[in-house]
Amino acid sequence: MNDPLLEIDDLRVDFDTRAGLVQAVRGVSLTLGRGETLGLVGESGSGKSVTAQAVMGLIDVPGRIAGGAVRWNGMPLVGEGVRRRPRRIWGREITMIFQNPMTSLNPLMTVGAQLGEVIHLYLGLRGAAARTRAAELLDAVGISGASRRLDQYPHEFSGGMRQRVMIAMAIASEPRLLIADEPTTALDVTIQAQILELLAGLQEKLGLSIILITHDLGIVAGLCHRVAVMYAGQIVETGTVDDIFARPGHPYTQGLIRSTPRLDAVEDRLVSIDGTPPGLRTPPEGCAFRPRCPAAQAACHAPQRLASHGAGHVACCRAGVDAWDVGAA
Amino acid sequence: MTRDPALSVDGLSVDYPLSSGGLFRRARSVTAVSDVSLQIAPGETLGLVGESGSGKTTVGRAILRRVPASAGRISFEGKDITHLRGDALRKLRARMQLILQDPYTSLNPRMTVADIVAEPLLVHGLVASRAEAAREVRGLLDRVGMPADAADRYPHSFSGGQRQRIGIARALALKPSLIVADEPVSALDVSVRAQVVNLMQDLQRELGIAFLFIAHDLAIVRHISHRVAIMYAGRIVEVAPREAIYERPVHPYTEALLSAVPVADPPVQRARRRIIHPGEAVDIADPPSGCRFHPRCPIATERCRDEVPPLEPKAEGHMAACWNRGGVMGLRMKVHS
Repeated sequence: MNDPLLEIDDLRVDFDTRAGLVQAVRGVSLTLGRGETLGLVGESGSGKSVTAQAVMGLIDVPGRIAGGAVRWNGMPLVGEGVRRRPRRIWGREITMIFQNPMTSLNPLMTVGAQLGEVIHLYLGLRGAAARTRAAELLDAVGISGASRRLDQYPHEFSGGMRQRVMIAMAIASEPRLLIADEPTTALDVTIQAQILELLAGLQEKLGLSIILITHDLGIVAGLCHRVAVMYAGQIVETGTVDDIFARPGHPYTQGLIRSTPRLDAVEDRLVSIDGTPPGLRTPPEGCAFRPRCPAAQAACHAPQRLASHGAGHVACCRAGVDAWDVGAA
Repeated sequence: MTRDPALSVDGLSVDYPLSSGGLFRRARSVTAVSDVSLQIAPGETLGLVGESGSGKTTVGRAILRRVPASAGRISFEGKDITHLRGDALRKLRARMQLILQDPYTSLNPRMTVADIVAEPLLVHGLVASRAEAAREVRGLLDRVGMPADAADRYPHSFSGGQRQRIGIARALALKPSLIVADEPVSALDVSVRAQVVNLMQDLQRELGIAFLFIAHDLAIVRHISHRVAIMYAGRIVEVAPREAIYERPVHPYTEALLSAVPVADPPVQRARRRIIHPGEAVDIADPPSGCRFHPRCPIATERCRDEVPPLEPKAEGHMAACWNRGGVMGLRMKVHS
């Protein structure tokens, strides 16, 4: 296998809050290859966005990197071993788009001016050349009438079009990794389909790697090559998308898949995972999912480690294939 | 056998004012809902689906009489309620309840859970004393799966799913026969969503409540609904039993909508054909003429631009508003005429 583009190694992120120390990310390790799309799946508070922010160098007070490292092409980027803040990577080689494009765009600047800033900063172009490049970018993300649209303000764009503008800004520097944090959650489903198609097309054309953060398993199924499932600040399972959906190894992953109703079938009753995720001020010893797990045993009180479930597929649980059938019986 | 519907809506339109008129200026308004008709049988769930701005929330609010209808008729349990006022309206509101999307803003943070759930009972004079109210509240909280000690706590100490249960307990307090649930699970995490969906289904089975389930998530709607209505730009474009909508959609918009929803199964999802239409939802203040979907529709013809297609039967129990999709019924009717 060739060297990974991005390596996350035992990353820990803490937040100092008035209520105490919150351990948002508790030892996450991941690798991402070139041209690969990784889905980072989990519920609110599972640490998926914080992990991405750490990779982007966006963790700021009251948060801090409490341990571990992120390496880019083998070079330390975050955490251990970093000597100088490597700003040339962030925003240029690694870019990010967010859930709400309205709050990410400056309402007082035209779209052309905002694109122009990025183009000047990363490509060194000005004036007519910058404007031509900006129009090309809008065209590349499927915005028609690009030269006219450049002079408009963000409020003149619909939600889907704003997200396209964000994507245009994110690919302006010809990055190698795009982190998309719930990029379609605020959009209607037909617009979501357009944006996902755009991302897939750009990946193919530009050879981008993508980290896609989402809670929607359908989006993962359609777009991702590999999946990492997060729970309570840890990765509980990773594998290829086909493997994870066909043979989920962790009871949490199994429960997630079976509690999601399907468009193409009707279940009598959804599997429901009782209870709620634990608070991360005092993360539980051992398996964090234990209090909600139908197959929990005494051994689950001990610290868990990811173990192999087949080629490229690891999960931190050996409970067996179908915890929820056991639970229902 | 046909039972009287719990709810019947005929030709409902709702206008919202954009600006008030002046001496020399006409008031401007936008028609959020145009000519909507639907029925819900007792104990039935009708899923009402549409994208933002389609008017689905407005339909729910008009049924609950929270926004005035500018045209049409709303009947509830056999009675015309379109223009009820005063005491009669108050009595009606006990029979129809609302569950909202955001359990963080729909519960008063300064009231205990017991007070929140008891409030409708006291307002409507259904309990004689605070002690009786407390007993009722205990029963309701138990019914929605909340622990007994929840009663004396405040909403902030509960998770989103638990707050939604509290909202459901409050809605159940007056023993309604219809609940309008407006995106009740959209703000919840996946694992918690299933808990609330299961609870709503249990309550319906036990108490025979009819639901108008307003949502944009087509997979959840398929799971919970008996029949489904699809809205586009203020109109219903298709309504049919669940299986018919999902397996044999008639309207091109329904087809596009269904094909846009990703299925959580990688081989299936990769093999699916997606129909991706250009363009975005219409500007409701200035809707297209004729069929409102015609600018995005792959099979639109001249007629679609000029004339509004009526919502008409295309198959048994299956209505759609499209000039170019005849369906089984359309063919049969042509033969007879």
